[in-house]
Amino acid sequence: MNVIEIKNLTKNYGKARGITDVSFNVYEGEIFGFIGPNGAGKSTTIRTLLSLIYPTSGSATIFGKDCKEFGPEIRQEIGYLPSEIFYYDNMKVIDLLKYSASFYKKDCSKRIIELAQIMDLDLNKKIDDLSFGNKKKVGIVQGLLHSPKLIILDEPTSGLDPLMQQKFFELLEEENKKGATILLSSHILSEVQRLCTRVAIIKEGKIIKLDKISTLQENNHKRFKIEMKSKIDENYFNFSGVTNLDIKGNIINFLFSGNINFIMKKISEIEIANLWIEEPDLEEIFMHYYEKED
Amino acid sequence: MNMFLHELKAYRKSTIIWTCSLVALVVLFLSMFPAFSKEATAFKEIMKGFPEPVRKSLGLSVDSMSSILGFYSYMFLYTTLCGAIQAMNLGTSIISKEVRAKTADFLLTRPVTRGAVMTSKLMAALTCLVITNLIYLASSSIMASVVATEKYSYKIFFMISITLFFVQLMFLALGIVISVLVPKIKSVLPISLGTVFAFFIIGMFVATTGDDAMRYITPFKYFDANYILKNTSYEISFIITEIGFIAFAITASYFVYYKKDVHSA
Repeated sequence: MNVIEIKNLTKNYGKARGITDVSFNVYEGEIFGFIGPNGAGKSTTIRTLLSLIYPTSGSATIFGKDCKEFGPEIRQEIGYLPSEIFYYDNMKVIDLLKYSASFYKKDCSKRIIELAQIMDLDLNKKIDDLSFGNKKKVGIVQGLLHSPKLIILDEPTSGLDPLMQQKFFELLEEENKKGATILLSSHILSEVQRLCTRVAIIKEGKIIKLDKISTLQENNHKRFKIEMKSKIDENYFNFSGVTNLDIKGNIINFLFSGNINFIMKKISEIEIANLWIEEPDLEEIFMHYYEKED
Repeated sequence: MNMFLHELKAYRKSTIIWTCSLVALVVLFLSMFPAFSKEATAFKEIMKGFPEPVRKSLGLSVDSMSSILGFYSYMFLYTTLCGAIQAMNLGTSIISKEVRAKTADFLLTRPVTRGAVMTSKLMAALTCLVITNLIYLASSSIMASVVATEKYSYKIFFMISITLFFVQLMFLALGIVISVLVPKIKSVLPISLGTVFAFFIIGMFVATTGDDAMRYITPFKYFDANYILKNTSYEISFIITEIGFIAFAITASYFVYYKKDVHSA
């Protein structure tokens, strides 16, 4: 079942770029990554899902219901953590959380205490007096306190120290195990890599790639580094599937995508001193997609 | 209900301050009445010395000034000015403060319709105004009965006093419309003070011309105290105009607020 279905979603801001023809689905129970550089349209997409802004054309449904029409009903089961946290400054943390909880049809007081303990958050401070990171924690507790079925996170980790990030990820994984679907927007690839099963890459308002993280890593490219015993013909490895070929003396570096047996045969035919085959990390793949169209 | 209470709490302080100022104003003014009425004839002579346009623009009516109601209706102009600023501030800020403090994202991602948000805020603003008016009415009634030297019609006193609320309603509606139409209001005071004073000055100008049609332009001239004094009633056409304006403004506000994109900070 699809928790989120986005079909040809387009949002224009006058002349400024919004998003064009964005389509993807998020399955129930998965952690879906949504990556792209700043200003690519991640937040625009998310704000449309929350019906903070309305699409120019196309549609988005959550839990099978149209976002615009059934907004309030849908939001009953959504937890949202915005990238920048702003709350009523003169309120105490606990008062804000209680205010937030008062919108939902369940008793959240226990969960508030629990979450605050996990995130090490002082409930009796004024929001005004909190540091950026602590405000983020308020945001996290606020987003999770009603045990939502769908958690939408917009660049959630900025401002959190590594220890808190770790705790936060564990919290998310726990919620996910309990059945929550998570949409994680980020430009920090390592966190997407750590948490997500599938990922959509957005660039300049368009989805340019949507795949499983594992597929992105496996199928696409392997990084080869070969140390030769003697110099070989520069064009020996120059065939289709090989990119970023770089020969420095006896060391050859390249990325390969395609049938692995083929490249292994090629290598076996020459004398080599050493061989490294590595998975490129997401960063490399990501950069690869970004640069491709430039 | 939660949003309504939240808003009430947020405006508690400012409502208390505004109410106190209005009460202080009426107490101060009316406490001058005994001294004034003793020397009424002398004052009348002085006032007759003023050119007529000046008297009219300040709302000074020589004949009625010596009675408590006449005196009250003169000072009441300044009460409505004060009250108008309160209402306009309230109207302009109650929606726009969420944009300014960047809390709109929080509020509108809760499971509520924008209509419900608007209604709660509107009701909270109305409640603030009602509370202000009740306290004002009570304290001005007491004060008037203390300083009055002869019998006066409490009905007329009440009718004049309650127009404070009617004028406030118009400015509240105007403020709300402005706050949903302007994408981002950086500061409320310049807008609310500017608008209220503009209408107040138009009001002074209209009073000197005596042109009835012009009175429709400014809320300050919808309820003419002298007319109420003479007829013990309001002018129906102005009441209809007021109701029409408020209905239009509030409907438009709901409509715009529903359709509006809420942009991130």
